[in-house]
Amino acid sequence: MTEARPAAATRRHDRPQVVLTGLSAVSAYGRGNQALLDGVLAGRPAFAPVTRFDVEDRRVRVGALLPGDPSLVDELLSVVDEACAQAGLSTADRAATRLLLAVHGDPDGSRPRAAGAATPRVPAMRRAPDDAAWQAPSGAGGFAAMVAAKAGLAMRPRTYTSACVAASTAVADAAAMITAGDAERLVVAAGYLVDPDQFALFDAGRALAADGAVRPFSAGRKGLLLGDGVAAVVLESDRAARARKAEVLAAVHGWGRAGDGYHVVQPRPDGAGLARAIGAALDRAGFAPAEIGYVNAHGSGSAASDAGEAAALHRALGGHAARVPISSTKSLHGQALEASPLLELVTTVLTMRAGLLPVNAGFLEPDPGCELRLITGEPLAARPAYALSLNAAFGGANTALVIGV
Amino acid sequence: MSSRTTSPTHAVPGLVELARGSWPESPADAEPPQLAGFVLSSFSPLVAEAARRCLTAAYGQPPADPARGARTAVIISSCSGDATTAAAVARAVAAGQRLGPLLFFQAVPNAVAGYVAARWELGGPVVSLSPDGGADPVPESLAEGLSAASLLIRDGDADEALVIVAEQATDDGGRDRALAVLVRSSDITE
Repeated sequence: MTEARPAAATRRHDRPQVVLTGLSAVSAYGRGNQALLDGVLAGRPAFAPVTRFDVEDRRVRVGALLPGDPSLVDELLSVVDEACAQAGLSTADRAATRLLLAVHGDPDGSRPRAAGAATPRVPAMRRAPDDAAWQAPSGAGGFAAMVAAKAGLAMRPRTYTSACVAASTAVADAAAMITAGDAERLVVAAGYLVDPDQFALFDAGRALAADGAVRPFSAGRKGLLLGDGVAAVVLESDRAARARKAEVLAAVHGWGRAGDGYHVVQPRPDGAGLARAIGAALDRAGFAPAEIGYVNAHGSGSAASDAGEAAALHRALGGHAARVPISSTKSLHGQALEASPLLELVTTVLTMRAGLLPVNAGFLEPDPGCELRLITGEPLAARPAYALSLNAAFGGANTALVIGV
Repeated sequence: MSSRTTSPTHAVPGLVELARGSWPESPADAEPPQLAGFVLSSFSPLVAEAARRCLTAAYGQPPADPARGARTAVIISSCSGDATTAAAVARAVAAGQRLGPLLFFQAVPNAVAGYVAARWELGGPVVSLSPDGGADPVPESLAEGLSAASLLIRDGDADEALVIVAEQATDDGGRDRALAVLVRSSDITE
């Protein structure tokens, strides 16, 4: 079925102020946007036994990983290059464009090691040097500075380490900077490659789905599974994009961030924090809930998190929450932690432009605590003009983005 | 409100400092108080103690004034991040040792931000940043945190922001340091 497009005249802003002119992603489905789109629309989850490193002692041994031993630096540089090329940015444009990067606070440690190797860690930046003059930096900020320098982007990137909302917070901040006139154009990039340390932590925390599937909002859901995700987008002011005659691929109409103020790691059961983030995003867009035609949910597949998110959707969207098509693409490409929101944003834009909304894989049967219109079975043929992309994280951090194509 | 006015917030136009707390404040500050649910590393206790000192200066005791707390962001800015937890996890995984579940929760800075937000009932955005530290990471992290606070406040998702800087010592002679400042827009007058 096809969702109706709302009349543009009902919107507060005649034109979006923040547009997306380049995007690129790497996931377990492969490198590049086409691999991601094909994989997601095939509807087959990318989870398989982990072979990148030793998982013998783990309770769960499954994830969504690229083959081999990819380098986070190399993958980031490649998606930034592709996104900038798609946006048509010159070398000079790039040098004037700041990077907002979402990565784990210890990206050195995120560097995968060979299977079974019980050796001291080798920092990623010492593993991927093609510039002998570069001094090995330390920490996420140093890592971002290196990526910006190697990518030919402006100095002084900003580095977000806010767990599973890091990348969406960066997108919201980029949109805010552009709207405020602080910047005309930014590159937002994010990367996480499944690594032995985070895998062991999530396994120890019993957060991983023991049945090897992610089943967001479904009865019988057991938890999340980790997945590789590296992505980059070019965001700029509509005016700047038009001046360059760049093709506009999507727009960021609204964004919102709010906290739960509730618990160290548990989400609010009533979803009030996430609902406020959604409300702020709709408010900025000037949209009524009914104008949202698709929701790419946070949908981690964890019992409490999904129930809280369903409550948030009902709280923020009212009756529309039970009608709007929804899926969590984490059920397909896995949870890419700091980078997941950007992988989901790229997935949302690609699938909306394709006119096919991705499935919520792993669904078994309805959970009475999650009364939502989940897309199951096969992708939904629809061309909604606007979608919500939602994310939540430890610490009660919530974000919502309103995306238009 | 804090009486401390020697504030570096002038580095970010449009912000006014409401309160401040730091660690250490005196030679008596040997180790920050332990924090239930957090183990091994000083990082989260440093964040919690600096935040407690700052918010105590602002509010006396928890919770924050509900009207203000609901729109107060929590921003953690740290060049070092929780280096101790990251190293402990890496060592244990490399040695094939089992990890305790508590390490899972504290492995991201958001966790202690959530602790502070829950304790003081702060409902604004939760953000963690990690700038590239120079010779002195505290001012670097503070400037980055204040810049993010300014953006959030101008953008409208928060009216106030609690910016918490925590830097773990990187060598044997160094000391852990933390600083928390509560800021709001200078456009607001009471």
